[in-house]
Amino acid sequence: MAGRVITVTSGKGGVGKTTFSANVSAALAALGKRAVAVDTDVGLRNLDIVMGLENRIVYDLVDVVEGRCRLQKAIIRDKRIATLHMLPAAQTRDKSAVTPDAMEKICAELRSQFDFTIVDSPAGIESGFQNAIAGADEVVIVTTPHVSAIRDADRVIGLLEAAEKQQIHLVINRLQPEMVRRGDMLDISDILDILAIELLGIIPEDECIVVSSNRGELAALHATSPAGQAYKNIARRLLGEDVPVLPVEEDRGLLKRLARLFKGQ
Amino acid sequence: MGFLDTLVKRLSPGGYTQQSKHAAKERLKLALTYDRGGLAQGTIEQLRDEIIQVIAKHLAINEDEIEIHFDRTSEQDKLIASIPLRMPSRTRAKGGQATTTATKAPTQSRKK
Repeated sequence: MAGRVITVTSGKGGVGKTTFSANVSAALAALGKRAVAVDTDVGLRNLDIVMGLENRIVYDLVDVVEGRCRLQKAIIRDKRIATLHMLPAAQTRDKSAVTPDAMEKICAELRSQFDFTIVDSPAGIESGFQNAIAGADEVVIVTTPHVSAIRDADRVIGLLEAAEKQQIHLVINRLQPEMVRRGDMLDISDILDILAIELLGIIPEDECIVVSSNRGELAALHATSPAGQAYKNIARRLLGEDVPVLPVEEDRGLLKRLARLFKGQ
Repeated sequence: MGFLDTLVKRLSPGGYTQQSKHAAKERLKLALTYDRGGLAQGTIEQLRDEIIQVIAKHLAINEDEIEIHFDRTSEQDKLIASIPLRMPSRTRAKGGQATTTATKAPTQSRKK
């Protein structure tokens, strides 16, 4: 079996890489694919707590790199979805404990066992980022509609092209339809015009993300979360399904409809 | 901002101030042109001075009216210079000014 290794990166921190990695891995697993989410943020691990698996860690990525345990032993199997897995980062070490060569070897091994290996990159463009992209077949860049995130995304795209990564997808996170509608937030076409890469999906701002992560649950497994639905759509697109990138559903409240009426829209 | 201001802004089409996304896009485009080309801040000013020196050797130009800026599209980055000439009086036509526009692509651009 030759699976796909997809690295999730952004340049800027706090744009939603870890939430994306956790939820898309879960959505792929829920569709019956064998998926593993890999945390490469050594020293600042978070994927475990977002996925609700923080109490089950025995071995981690650095233990595998340094030969203290076999890869199999460090991988945690999720109890909610049988095909979902997670490989945690070390919390007490720094990024120099992993090298690009070591990551390439680990990714090669994971590729032979899983349909999808989703590698969650640390923020920044230093060694942790270089480790995260070393074994990647594809890269997903997560950005938000903010100037700082878009500028960093552009920088990362340049570095990925220099590293000869061919398949680069864009995900726009935390879009607020109401702000876009009144022209106070960059819209999808503005961002695509600036970054000029292929769009994989759009995720709306959604309180459910905070609530889910508080509980160690995954929004992608909720029936009603708008962001969860967006993650499911992205998973289906990764599987080659033609799911339209729909404009994000607006709040159809009475006040908002009245406001639109006043503005002649 | 008072309630009335907010109300007027909300009810007028597009708001009476410019939508902030245009500012975001223009500022990003300029910043990314510098980022991608590895250009230092102040490059435009330096270019401007040097272009004036070169052209002034051969032509009379209106230094105060020179405009130089970068323009970015998804296909190409361009340097656009508008350099108004001061024409000698005997050939001066009505209006009295000619403009030469030079463009070149300073940085590599990404293809879709």
